Amino acid sequence: MKTFISAVALAVMMPVVAFAAETAQVGKPAPAFTLKDESGKEHSLAQYKGKIVVLEWTNSDCPFVQRHYTANTMQKTLAGFDAKKVVWLAVDSTASHTPDKVAAWKKEKGFTYPVLQDASGTVGKSYGAKTTPHMYVIDEQGVVRYAGAIDDDPRGNKKEGTTNYVKTAVDALLSGKPVPTSSSEPYGCSVKYKS
Amino acid sequence: MTQHRVRRSSWGGLLFAALGLVLGAGVARAELPATAVSTGAPDQGNPRVEAALLTDVTQVKPGDSFRVGVRFRMDPGWHIYWKNPGESGLASEIVWDTPGTTVGELQWPLPITFRSPDGFITSYGYGEEVLLFAEARVSEQMTGSLQLSAASDILVCEQRCLPAQLMLTRNVPVGPETLKDSEFAPAFDAARASVPVTPESAGHVVSLALDTKPLTAGQPFTGTFTVTAPQGQPAPMVEKDFFIPERIKGIARVELSPVAGKPGTFKVEGTAAADVPAQEPRLAGVLRLGTAASGYRALTLDLALAPVVAAPPGTVAAAPVVKAPPVVVPPPSMGTAVASESSLSLGLVLLFAFLGGALLNLMPCVFPVLALKAYGFTRTVHAERGKVALHALAYAGGIIGSLLVLALVVLALRAGGSSVGWGFQFQEPLFVAAVAAVLVAFALNLFGVFTVGTDGTALVEKVDSSHGLARSAGEGVLAVVLATPCSAPLLGTAVGFALAAGPITVLATFFMLGLGLALPFCLLVLVPGLTKLLPKPGAWMERGKQLLGFALLGTTVWLVWVMGGLTGVDGMARLLAFLAVVGLGAWMYGLAQGAEGGRKVAGVVAVVAVVAVGGLFSLRFEETGPALRKASAVAEAQPWDDAAVTAALKAGQPVFVDFTADWCLTCKFNERTVLTREDVRTAFAQHKVAFFVADWTRRDERISAKLAEFGRAGVPMYLVVSPAAPDKPEVLPELLTPDTVIEAVRRAAERVADAT
Repeated sequence: MKTFISAVALAVMMPVVAFAAETAQVGKPAPAFTLKDESGKEHSLAQYKGKIVVLEWTNSDCPFVQRHYTANTMQKTLAGFDAKKVVWLAVDSTASHTPDKVAAWKKEKGFTYPVLQDASGTVGKSYGAKTTPHMYVIDEQGVVRYAGAIDDDPRGNKKEGTTNYVKTAVDALLSGKPVPTSSSEPYGCSVKYKS
Repeated sequence: MTQHRVRRSSWGGLLFAALGLVLGAGVARAELPATAVSTGAPDQGNPRVEAALLTDVTQVKPGDSFRVGVRFRMDPGWHIYWKNPGESGLASEIVWDTPGTTVGELQWPLPITFRSPDGFITSYGYGEEVLLFAEARVSEQMTGSLQLSAASDILVCEQRCLPAQLMLTRNVPVGPETLKDSEFAPAFDAARASVPVTPESAGHVVSLALDTKPLTAGQPFTGTFTVTAPQGQPAPMVEKDFFIPERIKGIARVELSPVAGKPGTFKVEGTAAADVPAQEPRLAGVLRLGTAASGYRALTLDLALAPVVAAPPGTVAAAPVVKAPPVVVPPPSMGTAVASESSLSLGLVLLFAFLGGALLNLMPCVFPVLALKAYGFTRTVHAERGKVALHALAYAGGIIGSLLVLALVVLALRAGGSSVGWGFQFQEPLFVAAVAAVLVAFALNLFGVFTVGTDGTALVEKVDSSHGLARSAGEGVLAVVLATPCSAPLLGTAVGFALAAGPITVLATFFMLGLGLALPFCLLVLVPGLTKLLPKPGAWMERGKQLLGFALLGTTVWLVWVMGGLTGVDGMARLLAFLAVVGLGAWMYGLAQGAEGGRKVAGVVAVVAVVAVGGLFSLRFEETGPALRKASAVAEAQPWDDAAVTAALKAGQPVFVDFTADWCLTCKFNERTVLTREDVRTAFAQHKVAFFVADWTRRDERISAKLAEFGRAGVPMYLVVSPAAPDKPEVLPELLTPDTVIEAVRRAAERVADAT
C-alpha cells in the first residue's frame, strides 16, 4: 500500500520536472522580447541585432546589487566598451517595482542605460534569470555567449584579482576570439517574481 | 536575539524572558561569554539571526579532540544557505582563527529545500536553527587557554535578503583532562546525527549507468542510478525533494526522479555545462532516503559521471532559428475576410453558421432552456393545438431577433474601434449579473412564487394566448443569451469569418445561426406526428416544472462562479446579495398579485423600488479585484504571451496554447474531459510540450487580436505549434478528443525530429 501511495505521489510530481521550461542557453539563440523601460520607451532584442547586448537582471533592493552599484561595477564595465558596438540593458523582474521607483533609483545612482520593466516576470523566466545580478551576453547574431555572475567575487571581499566575466566575454567577442568562460554560477538575491 | 524577540511580540517575549530566568537559575549558561554571541542581518532595527560560538567541552586536555561550531538561530520564516545555495543565495561561510588548534572540514547537517512562491527558484539551506561544526584538535604543547575565533559570512533571507558578517571569539581553558559540556555536547551530537554519511558506512550499495558517454558540452544527458539497502532492510523509499545536488563543475543541471514501481531506482537527467571542465565531473549531492513516517537517512552521493567533450563545431549554426511570430495583428477591417480563411465562400460560411447553430442545441449551455421549452411545449401542444406553430414561430423569432440585436451591437462596437467576439458580453460583470437575475426570477416563477401572463388563479380561464407567445419568444431570447458562452464545431469559423467581414455578412451569418438554433424545436412542431410522442399532461408536470427551476439555479451557480473570475470574491458576494434582493422582489410581486386595486399597484411599486435600490447598492463591480483562480484547470499551464511562446519554441519545445475563459463551458468541458486526462498529460510530458493558457475571461485585446488572426471570434481555440514550423500553427477543432490532441502534439514534436 505504501509503495502504491509513493508511486502515485511520484507520478504526480514527475510532470513538474518534465515541464521545467528550457531557458536561455549558451550557444543557443537568445529568447526574443519587447519591454518598456522605466520611461515608457520600448526596447526589443531584435532592434539591437548587429550589436553585442549585455543583459543585467537587477533589483535595487538587493544587497548584492547595492554593493555593485556602490562600487559602480556595471557602469565601469560598460564604460570600458565601445559604445557603438555594445548595448547594456538592465532588466527588473521584481513584481513589486514600479517605473517611478526605478527612475528614482537610476537618478540616485546616476547611470543612463535603460532599466526594462518586466514586473510580470515573463522575460525573466524565459531567460531563466534566478538572481540579481544575473548577467547574459548576447552576440551580434543574437546567440547567448555568456550566462552567469558578473564576477568571481560573490562575497565582495576579494582584495584584488577579481575576474569580471562579462568584460572578458565581451572583449573576446569584440576581438573575434572564443569566450573563455561562457557560464558561471550567478550569485545574489533570488529574483522576486510575481507568483 | 532575545531582545528583538521581545520587541517583536511582547507576549512571546515575556514568556521567553521568564523561561530564561527559570532555566538560568538551574543551568550554568554563564560560560558563554558575550564575545561568543552576536546578532546580525538587521531588519528595521531587528536582527534576524543570532550566532553563537559553541564547543562541546568546558575544558580540554592538550592533544585531545573536541568539536567547535557556530549555531545560527533565525527568526521564523528566515533562512541561511547550505554549501550549495542552489539557484540563488549565498553559501554560508565560516573562517576559523584558532592558534594552536587545528580545525577540520566544516560539517553540514542535512539541509532542506526552499522554493520561491512560484516554484521557479530552488535553493537549499536551513531555517530556524542549525549548528555548523567541525572537529578540532588541540596541540600537545598547548597551555593556558585556547583562543577560538570564527568569522561567519552568511546571507539571511526571507522574501528579502540581508547579508551578515559575524565575528565571534571565546577562550576555552586547557587543563589536565577534557570535560564535556553538559549543555552543548548534546547539540553537537544531534547535529552530527543529521550530517549525511557515505553509502558504504551505512551499508548501502550505489551505482550509476549513463545512457551515453562521454557527455557533450551544453547537451542533455540521461542515465539510471540505483541504491540498494543492506540485506533485510526494506527498499529505500523517497519523498519529494529527496535529492539535493552539490554544485558540480562541468554540470549545468542534474535531477533525479524515482522510477515508478521500482524503489531505489532513479532516472538521472542533466545538462552538461557549456564550458568543458579539465576534470571529469562527478554526480555529487545528498540523498535523503526514507519518509516522514519512517524517519530519514541522509547519504552523501559522489560518483564519477563521465568526461565532457566539446560540442562539435557548427552546432550553434544548426540550432533552430525561430522566426518570431507577428506581434502586431492588423484589426479585422470591414469587407475583407481574414487571410487564413479567405478560401471560405460566403455560402459555405452561412452553411457553417446554420449547422453550428443546430449543434449548439447539443451543448450544455442551451440545455436548461431546451428542457424548459420542451416542458412548455408539452403543455401548449395539448391545451392550444391550433397555436403550436405560432409558438414555434415566436420561439424562433425570439432567437433570431436577439441574435440580430447581438449582431448590431457587435457592428456598433466594431465601428467604435473595439474588437469583440462570440461571448464577449460575458466579460461584462453587469451583463453576467443581469443574466443571473433573470435565471433566478425564472426559477422562482417555476417554483410558483409568482406567476406570469395570468392575473392570479382567478383568471386562469382568461389566459391570453399572446402572453403565452411572448413567453415563447422570451425563451428564445434566453436560449441565445445562454448559448453565447458556448461554442460548437463550425460555429467559431463561421462567426469569425463574419466578424471580419462586412455588415451584411454579419447579419446574414447571425440570421442563419439563429435558424440553426431554432431548428430542432421547430422540426418537432412542424413535422406531423412527432407531437404524439410527447407524454400526456398530468400531475408530473407540476413536479417537472419545479425540478427545472433547480436546473436554472444550477446555471446561476455557474454564473456566480464566472463572476468570481471576473471580479474576485467581493464581486461574487455583491452578485449573491443582488440575487437575494431579486428573490425578495419576486416574492413581494407574488404577494401583490393576490391583492386588488390600489394595494396591488403599491405592491408592484414597492417591488420595483426594492430591486432598484438593492441593485444600486450591490451592483458595483470592479474588475481590479483578484480573480479567484486560473481559467485553465491544467496544472502546469503558463500564462500566454507571444514572447514566452517564442522562447519555448526557440528552446525546441512544441507549444500548446489553450484560448479559454471561465464563462466558456465548451472550454471547461474540454479541459475536464480531455486536457487533464492521464494519457494526454503523458503525451505532453513525453514531448516536453510548453502549455500556455490565454485567459479571455476578462477583456484582453491581445487575445482578441490573436483569435482574429486565426479567423476566430471567440474561445475555445487550441493552437499546436511545432518549433520546426513556428509560423504554421495547427488549429484544433472546438470539441477536442484525446486522440486529436495527442496526435497533434506528436506531429508537432516529430517535425522537430525531422528538421534537426
